Amino acid sequence: MRDVAVLGVGMHPFGKFADKSVTDLCRDAVVAALADAGVQWRDIEAVAAASSRFSGGKGWGLNGNDVVEDMGSTGIPVYNMSAGCAAGGNAFNVGYALVAGGIYDTILVVGGEKMPKGFIQTSGVEEETDPEFLRQRCVGMPGPSFWALLCRQRMEEFGTTEEQLAKVAVKAHQVAVHNENARFRKEFTLEQVLGSNMVSDPLRLFEICPVSDGAAAVVICSAEKAKQFSSNPVWVAGSTVATMSFDDGLPRGLAGVVPSGKSFHSEASTAVERALAQAGAGPQDLDLVELQDNTVYYELAFPEDWGMCKPGEAEHLLETGETLPTGKMPINPSGGFLCFGEATTAMGVFQVCELTWQLRGEAGARQVPDAKLGLGQTLGLGGNGTAVVLKR
Amino acid sequence: MTTKRIPVIDGLFSDTADGTRLLGSRCASCNVPYFPKSSLCHNPDCTGSQMEDASFGPHGTVWSYSIQNYPPPPPARYDEPYKPYALGVVDLTDGLRVVGRMAVDDPESLKAGCKVELVSEPLCTEEDGTEVITWMFRPI
Repeated sequence: MRDVAVLGVGMHPFGKFADKSVTDLCRDAVVAALADAGVQWRDIEAVAAASSRFSGGKGWGLNGNDVVEDMGSTGIPVYNMSAGCAAGGNAFNVGYALVAGGIYDTILVVGGEKMPKGFIQTSGVEEETDPEFLRQRCVGMPGPSFWALLCRQRMEEFGTTEEQLAKVAVKAHQVAVHNENARFRKEFTLEQVLGSNMVSDPLRLFEICPVSDGAAAVVICSAEKAKQFSSNPVWVAGSTVATMSFDDGLPRGLAGVVPSGKSFHSEASTAVERALAQAGAGPQDLDLVELQDNTVYYELAFPEDWGMCKPGEAEHLLETGETLPTGKMPINPSGGFLCFGEATTAMGVFQVCELTWQLRGEAGARQVPDAKLGLGQTLGLGGNGTAVVLKR
Repeated sequence: MTTKRIPVIDGLFSDTADGTRLLGSRCASCNVPYFPKSSLCHNPDCTGSQMEDASFGPHGTVWSYSIQNYPPPPPARYDEPYKPYALGVVDLTDGLRVVGRMAVDDPESLKAGCKVELVSEPLCTEEDGTEVITWMFRPI
């Protein structure tokens, strides 16, 4: 395996852009990433792209082909990766593997999305053999209720309060004020978060990420190639993809087995564990984490699941400021999904952008001091999980 | 006149003389329960494939619960005007962890760890007055 460097990153700000197509958003991100890397479009040997269900891709998730046609068809191979909300992380992993394995020297990884308004709708499949259809028809359990069940379980196990849940959102907005790419750059008070409508009790509107339009792109290359462009690039220390295990404790359809232990998102834990092992690092070595905070719950539970702190300790770390960029366990210094909104398939690439800016020391007022090792993590429908560890 | 009742989906549950049961299957080799029925065992550590019909319930313990405060998108069904409902994840005594609505008037009374039993209750009503029934959990 060859060492792989992140040579350049670029992002289109997140928000709602009625006048732009997903291709417009991707183009901005790609052009920025190429410029940041100091390479030309002709230097890109292959594209690994996240497949979207919602926008572009000719209805087949061919989002990478859209990008190549837009930038100029050079005949390069395109890999369109589908993994639900983990597609961006999945595309990064495929790009990484192709460079590490010596197939290509320079690859563009891209994810872009324009999301329909409102909560993400179910697949539209109406077959009695489809577990998602059965769950919605027989019970009525849309996405946020899934998060609400996890969150309520934590509240009962550790005594997490509604105020503590709201403080995660307050903290996210506190840091996003400093991020020019974030959609919501306004501070929220505890009262404002607690005053927002209950969506799926115990979770309120401001404690759940909305959907957004946005795009992110990164140029990765071999160590040899990187030397031509940078004396001190950011390195990929680990990149993994995993799927959930059979004994996962969270039923994704109607039912599962009562688990012997506590494992609710085995796809995420497995991906993170393997990425850290690949990096030769432990969870305590991480200087920062960009994790998938679809809801405030994840920012409390995931660091514990992954061994970054003790079970039940996350609320204390939050309340003492340790999860801020200046704390000892910085979580989502970008502002995370809560402040960007989820442009679903772009998120894994978005995280690589933020980690890269942080590790270069270019993150301005949200900078994690002296950041050397950072983790990114996504999960998506189908029990897909991805993780990436970047180092300086 | 008795109200006509139909199950929301056929073959998922049945009412017996001593309560509601979920209709699934169990692997004869590794004992893993499946709901709904499965024609094969999906346990990666099991090489057997002989599945037996099994019914689950009626007793279990609440693992977690939530209230659905906003009307869910299709294909979920509910009567207008929308009334928030409670749902939960329940560990049945026969080893199945299953999702379902909670048959409670006051969701605030729910607690993780509380004992429940399976019941069949109306999910919604058709235009002709037919009640559409699903499985639910009622605290005992």
